[in-house]
Amino acid sequence: MKILIAGGSKSGKSDFAQTLALKLAGTGRRFYIATMLPFDAEDRARIQNHRLRRAGMGFETLEEPRHPLRCLEAGPGVYLVDSVTALLTNALFPREADYRFSPESGEACLKELLDFAGQAEDAVFVLDMIFSDSNGYPPETERFRRLLGTAGQRLAARCDTVLEASAGRIFLHKGAVPK
Amino acid sequence: MILIFGGAYQGKTAWAKAQFDLRDADIYACTAEEAPNFSKKCWTNLENFTRFCLARGVDPEEWFRENRLAWEGKVLIFRDIFCGVVPLSGEDRAWREATGRALQYLAGEAGRVSRIFCGLEQRLK
Repeated sequence: MKILIAGGSKSGKSDFAQTLALKLAGTGRRFYIATMLPFDAEDRARIQNHRLRRAGMGFETLEEPRHPLRCLEAGPGVYLVDSVTALLTNALFPREADYRFSPESGEACLKELLDFAGQAEDAVFVLDMIFSDSNGYPPETERFRRLLGTAGQRLAARCDTVLEASAGRIFLHKGAVPK
Repeated sequence: MILIFGGAYQGKTAWAKAQFDLRDADIYACTAEEAPNFSKKCWTNLENFTRFCLARGVDPEEWFRENRLAWEGKVLIFRDIFCGVVPLSGEDRAWREATGRALQYLAGEAGRVSRIFCGLEQRLK
């Protein structure tokens, strides 16, 4: 089963995604695809916070900032991708290229993510909703928003269940929440 | 009239095309610079039309109230521009507010209101 959970910042989507991954895994393996490339102390603190919140849940952490398909080598189990946003950001502004904008790398990452979604048996995807501002952004940022929006639409089409998180509450857009 | 709104890049127009069997020729994408082609079945980017109205001293909600024949039976699509920080420029603040009021009026008049989220419909009315 595949699930997409999307919402704003601090909407509770990561916590709920972890709960869902545990439900799907049962007694089986569960993998946490850690996507964030820390840039500064604030990022490191955020990573530490996420680690603490999933401690004791039995996740095996796979550090993979760009290439989700590689994770599937870990074998059968539930894959938690937290987050699609970070994955695409890492690809669009590659660290090895001094964070210079690379639309090709971003598009390639989206394609790989959709292949991953096609091949994984069980997965939970976390995505940030950043689409309801009135102000426009510079072209590179708009390109990023378009890429993430496209990822949301394509993943929603491929997932069995689509959820929206808001203030820690969950709204069901498609399918059913696993019991 | 069918009212559709949702964030940027959520697939609003694609959803409307599939749902209501619209072709590209049926769709008019509004700009802030020109008056819409009122004969088209579907108007998208209506947040640009509200800007067009304001630039000419016309309140968008009033325009919709007074020109019912122009939009009755149509598919109207707005981008959700309402969840960000209050815009710095007064012009943008007025635009956001006037667009929101027009949207509320149209939602009241619509036979169906749909919010599009990741390409999926959330039926609000």
